[in-house]
Amino acid sequence: MRLEKGIISSSQLMFLVAGYVLGSVLVAAFTNTVTKQYTWLVVLSGLAVSIPLALVYVALTRKFPGKDLVQINRIVYGPYLSKLVSALYIWFFCSIAGFMLAYLSQTIKDYMMPETPLFAICILFTCICAWTVRNGIEVLARTSVIFVMIIIFVILITFFLLLKDMELTNFLPFFDLSLKDFIQGTHIMMTLPFCEIVVFLMLFPYVNKGVETKKSVILGLLIGGGSILIDTVRNTAVLGVASTIMISPSIESVRLIDLAEIITRLEMLVITLLLIAMFIKVSVMYYGTVLGIARLCNLRSYRQLVLPIGSIIVSLSMMTFDSLAQSNDFATRTGPFFTLVFEFSPVITLLVAKIRKLPK
Amino acid sequence: MKNRIGFIMKIMVCFMLILPISGCWSRHELNSLSFVVGVGLDKAEKPGEIQLTTQVVKPGELKSSSAKNKSSESGTNAYWNIKKTGYLASEIIKDFSHESSHKLYFPHNQVLIFERKLAEEGMQPYIDTFIRDIETRFNVLVVVSEDRASEVLDVSTGLEKLPAINIAKLVETQKITSESPTVKLIDFIRRLMSKTTAPIAPLIRVTGEGNEKTLEVFGTAVFKHDKLVGELNKRETRGLLWVINEVKGGMINVASSSGDGTVSLEITRAKSKMTPVIQADTILIKIDIKAEGIVNSQSGSENIASPDIVFSLEKKLSAEIGKEIMAALKTARDLNSDIFGFGDSIYWKYPSEWKKLKMKWDEVFPDVEVALNIDTKLRSTGNISAPAVPAKE
Repeated sequence: MRLEKGIISSSQLMFLVAGYVLGSVLVAAFTNTVTKQYTWLVVLSGLAVSIPLALVYVALTRKFPGKDLVQINRIVYGPYLSKLVSALYIWFFCSIAGFMLAYLSQTIKDYMMPETPLFAICILFTCICAWTVRNGIEVLARTSVIFVMIIIFVILITFFLLLKDMELTNFLPFFDLSLKDFIQGTHIMMTLPFCEIVVFLMLFPYVNKGVETKKSVILGLLIGGGSILIDTVRNTAVLGVASTIMISPSIESVRLIDLAEIITRLEMLVITLLLIAMFIKVSVMYYGTVLGIARLCNLRSYRQLVLPIGSIIVSLSMMTFDSLAQSNDFATRTGPFFTLVFEFSPVITLLVAKIRKLPK
Repeated sequence: MKNRIGFIMKIMVCFMLILPISGCWSRHELNSLSFVVGVGLDKAEKPGEIQLTTQVVKPGELKSSSAKNKSSESGTNAYWNIKKTGYLASEIIKDFSHESSHKLYFPHNQVLIFERKLAEEGMQPYIDTFIRDIETRFNVLVVVSEDRASEVLDVSTGLEKLPAINIAKLVETQKITSESPTVKLIDFIRRLMSKTTAPIAPLIRVTGEGNEKTLEVFGTAVFKHDKLVGELNKRETRGLLWVINEVKGGMINVASSSGDGTVSLEITRAKSKMTPVIQADTILIKIDIKAEGIVNSQSGSENIASPDIVFSLEKKLSAEIGKEIMAALKTARDLNSDIFGFGDSIYWKYPSEWKKLKMKWDEVFPDVEVALNIDTKLRSTGNISAPAVPAKE
């Protein structure tokens, strides 16, 4: 029984993955406090580490063609344990959507609308996401193609406009990072932007050519990772050591653009970028949650779940973090471990499936 | 039936969507804002207190095309300086609401002026709000004034209607002579955050009396961490700018080779590179400078358009640049303030050695050796090759 009637092409999947990864482009600034001017390095190492995990996700979906994560869990872990595992996953998707929404609304509140209450931003944003999720995967995939192109365009244009302000000495000395910090940075980078694509296990069954999934996921990761790399290189080159104290280095560096006093004050571009990238990310997580619950409870359609889950996500985002300091702390300390549990367990699922010689 | 209800709902939603288009929650209408173009910080009489001067624009006066006549004094300045005292800048900024009916709006601030006495006590407590606040920008120019900042913000030359804009443009114009640095807030922060590199800022003062008051930019204020410890004069400043690759232009006079008058050379291009070398216990900083110039004027009658003479002029130019750098270096050593960024350059190249040096950098810095390698080229002699004198027989 198919919950979703839509079908997406493998190139759309690629853009969806890229857009999803780019949703964390500003979140990547969290590692700045840990890795200082070497953030670009941990972006690369994080990307390198996350590709094997992405391959595991693809291998899992190849082993069980046409099945999503909840169904795979049911086959592998049996009827009772699988319910618990799937429920935990759904909770994970839902809470990440909430955290992302909290980060987005806090940033918009801080930089654009300081007097607007958080819930106004949250509710309006979630309404759009809910509408998209209700319309299904096809709509989301098609918008992501356009959005990813806009995001990459903005990142590139700000990069070139800031070329004259860049100082390569900001990257020196070449590698003066303690191993502990390097591992911590890589861990943050791997778990937060890249490996959160574990939610795509819910979406893989709707790709029209299952064979090309691997290629599109890896390409999507590379596009997303490459754009994050350009963004972090720009920030470090422009701001230097000052980027470690900024809440949002991307906004601050783009603020410095001043081309003959005509092209200035472009920081709204970054906020727009954040808004549309977060739209893809939150929508995919939202979609994963809704689809998961519908599958878990054997519903015939997921549509009636959209609004209730949306309200849960909004209230979650309002409740979780009291301040930006808290969310920064979560992203650098607790978050990577919290997400790693869920990002690593598909490996265990694959091993268990191998041992039990599934599917029969 | 169902379709019709759906249609009516859609129409209603469309009408409801009109409402949010018209306005925005935290809107700031243009006529309820005061645009701040300059901020000055002075020491107040009470210890620990500061006086903050903000210059806001009076848009109505700005538009009037009639050139403002200083003698008429009809109170039609295009700006208004609001002054208040208090302990912290952020607190005073909020206190301005007692006097200004408009909300102060900082994103268009051009210049941040610190009184020298205040800078001597440390700028960190006062500069923080200008970094932290969402409204302020990092493009703001940082200036240290010899006189009270509130006075500096009141000197208008007639070229600009707003003194703060005048100061900002004045500081930017210094690249013609390279005898005063142009420091943006972001540069200042970067130096402030460095463990060794000391911040710098241009110095400004009021000259003249009464209606003839003008502003003059002279030299550089040298800091140690966030405290002002001394100054460089114009010549030393250019010595500093040579090293940190900030020279954009300037004039250097050298004696002509035959001893007949002086030749004035203009710098058109300059590039420098700093390479530290650590051997055994000595630290050597190699500074390579490549400069290009043209002959700007000549007071003697000698024909200088011959390769030999040009070569000797280049030699003299190099020597003069070397002298400027050594003068700056001497002052920096006396003040024990690493304005050149030697410490950072060692850290970039020798991170492991730096760990030992870092602790005792203050003792090491005055003994750091510097080797100069200056290469100058005179590319042109201007419109004429020989001066306008009768040809010699």
